Amino acid sequence: MPSLRDLQHRFAAALAGDAAEGDARLAVYRNAVRANYRNALGATYRVVRELTGAPFFNAAVDAYARAHPSAGGDLNVYGGTFGDFLAKYPYARDLPYLPDVARLEWALDEAHRAADGDGSPERTLADLARIPGDAVAALRFALDPSCRLLCSAFPVLRVWQVHQDGHAGDARVQFDAGTDFVLVMRDASGVAAQRISAGEFAWLAALGAGDDLAAALTAALAADATFDLGTALRARIADGTLLRIAEPA
Amino acid sequence: MTMNPLPSLPPATGVGLRAPHVRHVLEQRPAVAWFEVHSENYFADGGPDLAALDRIRADYPLALHGVGLSLGSADPLDYTHLAKLKRLAARVEPAIVSEHLCWSGVGGRHYNDLLPLPYTDEALAHVCARIDEVQAYLGRTLVLENVSSYYAFPEATIPEWEFVAAVATRTGCRLLVDVNNIHVNARNHGIDPLAFLAAMPRAAVAEIHLAGHDDSGPIVIDTHGAPVAPEVWTLYRAALARFGRVPTLIEWDTDIPEFAVLAGEAATAQAILEACDAVAA
Repeated sequence: MPSLRDLQHRFAAALAGDAAEGDARLAVYRNAVRANYRNALGATYRVVRELTGAPFFNAAVDAYARAHPSAGGDLNVYGGTFGDFLAKYPYARDLPYLPDVARLEWALDEAHRAADGDGSPERTLADLARIPGDAVAALRFALDPSCRLLCSAFPVLRVWQVHQDGHAGDARVQFDAGTDFVLVMRDASGVAAQRISAGEFAWLAALGAGDDLAAALTAALAADATFDLGTALRARIADGTLLRIAEPA
Repeated sequence: MTMNPLPSLPPATGVGLRAPHVRHVLEQRPAVAWFEVHSENYFADGGPDLAALDRIRADYPLALHGVGLSLGSADPLDYTHLAKLKRLAARVEPAIVSEHLCWSGVGGRHYNDLLPLPYTDEALAHVCARIDEVQAYLGRTLVLENVSSYYAFPEATIPEWEFVAAVATRTGCRLLVDVNNIHVNARNHGIDPLAFLAAMPRAAVAEIHLAGHDDSGPIVIDTHGAPVAPEVWTLYRAALARFGRVPTLIEWDTDIPEFAVLAGEAATAQAILEACDAVAA
């Protein structure tokens, strides 16, 4: 009698096999497994699916699931590397912006599931007011857990926006519009993505990586000489991106 | 392990709550006796979905139904997964935490589907040990569901219904009797659905599931994408006659219709439930 493990490996091998071989009963499982991944990634990557059409999308998901099989029982968190996969997927070569659209959709999905932030702008401002002037440069900030930063050579935010339900008006996309710097974050009204400046992008990326305010300012000014720290600090405390002052490292 | 008191779902009909209906339920507060959700859909660290579940839980009894634990796998239990289930159960205090008598992956690879077990002595001992492990970790009685299947291992030595019954008897877990799954398996494997029901230990049955299937091809497929079939309503009456008024759930997972259709199915089940005279032993 083969062991339970042997029997499960035998079944798994049959699942991974060619759809043409084996009996029809195993094909039911093979189809169900394939459909599970197509549906799960189709729900996350709606715009990618719309851009490519369902047949292309489903074939890409099938290839992705073979190359990067699921290792866990929660399909909601499977598929985070689909954008990276698409960047190397030969059939997607004619859609160079597709990987970044996928990365944006994954960032939105992650932001939706992220922990609830435990700060408030009022408290952050009050804490900041108590910091002596000579200590401000060494401050570090915790970003809201839902914050995601995404940079693309393509106008991916515009691509994503014109593919949302209810988008009205001009749906054209200027593909040479320049590099897109995008901040994704969830607030009380839901997940939103906004285009930010190169300087602010570099600044938030540095703060998110744990840099202090002085180092983050240097990074911001290197990216954009017109970056204004006061304006950025006020705006990002007010909207909760900077969740609170972090404990010193 | 000794049996805990029956979980506190009302002996009435609930609806499996899926994403497209959450807003409707929050805004309309439909007259549904209870809701069940897929546990994994609320494994997030935070966010609006969990907040919505908190609000629903405030007004309705709730059951958690896991679809990804891979309980019967030869691989070790995934404690990252279990920790999220435990965190969720602590948050929403569900009346029931259920899982499936199946496996979903092996060798570190997950297939994210409910795969059939070979019904052997080794599998039975393995599944029972795992249920003990999960019940100990969660600190609560688990409810286990019989799955629909399309493949039967030729190595099987135990009929499915004896396997399911033995799991409950040996571990003290409760059973979620999916009547549609019994019908699907009866058709696919040529077994007697009434014999299946008769083998279930009555006192262990904590919940019943009803759903639609696809009977248009050579194999009956458990799609959860259609109204409950007439044969399944008939089998449901037989189940109630044996188990008494057990909390019953309507499930619909593909081609999900508007909520009113699910509420209609629940009302049909409720009428059958109320007409049932039997009382579980």
